[in-house]
Amino acid sequence: MTRDAGRSPSIRRRLLLFLLPPLIALMLISVYANYRAAMVFMRAANDERLADLAIALAAEVKANGMEVRFPSGSQPTARPGALSYSILGPDGRQLGGNTPLPVVPPGKSNPTFADVQSGSTPLRVATYRLRTSAGPVTVSVAQVNDPGTGSAHYILASAWLIDFIQLDVILIIVWIGVHFGLKPLLAVRRQIEAHETRELKPLELHDVPAEVRPLVDALNLLFDMLREAAASQRRFVADTAHQLRTPIAGLLGQLELLMREPQAAPLAERLAALHDGTTRLAHSANQLLTLARADPSATLSDQFEKLDLKVLVERIVEANVDRATRAGLDLGAEASSAHVTGSARLLEDLLGNLVDNALKYTPSGGHVTVRCGASSQGAYLEVEDDGPGIPQAERAQVRQRFYRSAGVSADGTGLGLAIVDEIAAQHGAILAIDSGPGGRGTRMRVNFETSVTARRRAERVGTANPV
Amino acid sequence: MRILIVEDDELVADAIARGLSAAGFAVDRSASAEAASSALASEHFDLAVVDVGLPGADGLTLVRRLRAAGTLLPVLILTARDALATRVEALDLGADDFLMKPFELAELAARCRALIRRAHVNANGQLSLGRLRIDVAGRQLRIDDAVVELTGREWLVLECLALNAGKIVSKDRLQQAIASFDQALTPNAVEVYVSRVRSKLGNAALIRAVRGLGYRLDEPAAR
Repeated sequence: MTRDAGRSPSIRRRLLLFLLPPLIALMLISVYANYRAAMVFMRAANDERLADLAIALAAEVKANGMEVRFPSGSQPTARPGALSYSILGPDGRQLGGNTPLPVVPPGKSNPTFADVQSGSTPLRVATYRLRTSAGPVTVSVAQVNDPGTGSAHYILASAWLIDFIQLDVILIIVWIGVHFGLKPLLAVRRQIEAHETRELKPLELHDVPAEVRPLVDALNLLFDMLREAAASQRRFVADTAHQLRTPIAGLLGQLELLMREPQAAPLAERLAALHDGTTRLAHSANQLLTLARADPSATLSDQFEKLDLKVLVERIVEANVDRATRAGLDLGAEASSAHVTGSARLLEDLLGNLVDNALKYTPSGGHVTVRCGASSQGAYLEVEDDGPGIPQAERAQVRQRFYRSAGVSADGTGLGLAIVDEIAAQHGAILAIDSGPGGRGTRMRVNFETSVTARRRAERVGTANPV
Repeated sequence: MRILIVEDDELVADAIARGLSAAGFAVDRSASAEAASSALASEHFDLAVVDVGLPGADGLTLVRRLRAAGTLLPVLILTARDALATRVEALDLGADDFLMKPFELAELAARCRALIRRAHVNANGQLSLGRLRIDVAGRQLRIDDAVVELTGREWLVLECLALNAGKIVSKDRLQQAIASFDQALTPNAVEVYVSRVRSKLGNAALIRAVRGLGYRLDEPAAR
C-alpha cells in the first residue's frame, strides 16, 4: 500500500481529492459572506456616525437660528474617509459648510442616506431635514467612500486568512481522521502479511470493520477455493502415484524373478533390457510425480516446518550407500547442523535428485560428498562429485525440463535439476551449479536465504513465474 | 519364518510371494485387511507385509487395529503413495518399517530378515546375523559355533552395530556407547575399536565405514 502509493489508488488521497473542491467552494462562499456581513455592519456604523454629525449640526442651527455662521473647514478632498458637510437654508442658500453637496431627495426616513457621485469622488451622504419656523433646513454630511481600500481591504484579507486556516485545519483533521479510520484496514493488511501464505488459513473476522468485511469474506472464499484446489491436486497426484507405481512394482518384481529362472537363460539379455526399461519407467513416473507434487499449486497447503538439514543429509546418504557401493563410488557426508524452514517431503526430493545425479554421472572409482551447514549467508546443501562436470555453457540449460546433456550415456528423465530448481525456488533458495575443487567435477549448491521475508518474496516470484 | 502378505494387486502379490519364498520364507497371501485379520487371528506369523492401498479398510487401518489389539507382530508397510507422509503416519501407528513401490525383491527380503531378527532379539536376547550368533543377554559372540573373545569395549561396539544391523550407526553414538568406562578415550578410539572388532569378525560379517556418517554392520548377502 505504501510502496505502491504512486500507482495504485489510495483511499486517503481519494477522500482528500473528493473533499477538496466542496471545501474550497465552501471557503469562497464563507469569505464572501463574511466580507458582506462585515461591510454591511461597517456601513451601518458609518451611517450612524454621519447621521449623528448631521443631527448635531442641525441642533446648532436650531439653537442659533439662521444667522449661525459655521467656520469654513478645510477644502474638501477626495481622500477616502474625508468628511465634508453643507447646510442649506429653506431658500436653498448655503448657510454653511465647506462644500456644496448634491441634494438628496427626501426619503421615507429622516435622516436619509444615499450614495452619490460628486465629480469623480464617490460619497456617502447623510441628509437631515430640520423643520424650522423659517422653513426646512437641510443638513448634509458626506464621507468619501472607500470601496476596496482601507478597512474593506482589511476585512477581506482577514476573512481570507481565517477561512484559509480553517480549510487547512479541516484537511489536516480529515487526514488524521482517515488515518485512524483506516487503522482497522491496516490491521487486516498486517494479518494478511503475517499470514503464512502456504497455509491459506481464513483470516480472522472479529476485528474487521463492517465496511471491509465483504472484502475479507471474498478473500477467505478465495483462500478456500485455492486450498481446495491444492488439496484436489494433491489427491490427484497421490491417486496417480498409486495407479502408476503398483503395476510397475509388479512388473519389476516379476522380471526380477524371471531373470533368476534357470530356464530363462537364453532370454537373459532381453529380460535384462526389459528390466532396465521398466526401471527407467519407474524412475520417470517417480520424477513426474515429484514434479507435479512440487508444483506451487500442489504445495500451497504444504506444511513448512523447521528442519535440520543434517538429518536430511544423513537420511539421503544412508538410503544411497548401497547404490553407491554397487556403482563403485565413495559416498560420504560432511554434515553440520543447519536449520531451515521448509517441507521435509520436498527437500528430501531435492537432495535425493542431487545425489541421484551425482551417482549417475560419476564414473566408478569417483567420490561423491554431500554437505550441509550454516554459513554467514544462511544454510546450504551441497553435493560435490569428481565426475566429468557440466560445461559452463550448459549450466543454464540443465535446469530446464527434459534437457539432457549430449554425449552423456547415463539414462535420465532430464527432470532432476528442474525438480531441484522448482523446490529450491519454493524455499527461497537458489541452486548454484559450479565446478568441484580444482575445476574438476560438479558442485551443486543450494543456498537458503535466512530471512522469512526473503522466502516470501521468492515464493511470490516462484508462484508467478514457475520454472 | 512365516510371512503374511497383504496385497490386493495380483501381479505385485505374486512377485512378492515368489521372491520371499526364494529367500527362504514361508509365505501366505491375503487380498484385504479383513482376510488378513482373520488369518492373523487363527495362525502364527513372524511378519506381515502390508500394502497401504487395499480395497475396503486400508493397510494403515489394519496396522492400527493390530496394535490396538496389542499384537507385537512386526509389520512392514508397502506404499505407492507419497513416501514421507505415509512413512511418518505408518511408523506413528506402530508399523516397524516402510518400503516404497517400486522396490527390489532383494531389498524387501533384506528388510524382512532384519525385522524378524529384531523381533527375535526382543523376544529372547538372541541375534543371528549370517554366520554370527550373538547372545545379547549372555554377552557372547559365536562365529559358526566357535566362541570369539571380545574385550568390554569391543563387545559394546559390536552390540551397538549388531542391534542396528543394516543401519548406519553414527560415530558419536559409538563413542557414547564405549565412553561409560573410566579410562579416558583417545580421539580415534572409535576407529581403533571398530577395526579390532572388524579383524575379529574376519569375513563372517562386514563393518562398512560410511564417510562422515559412521559405520554399518552388514551380514554377507545370504543366499
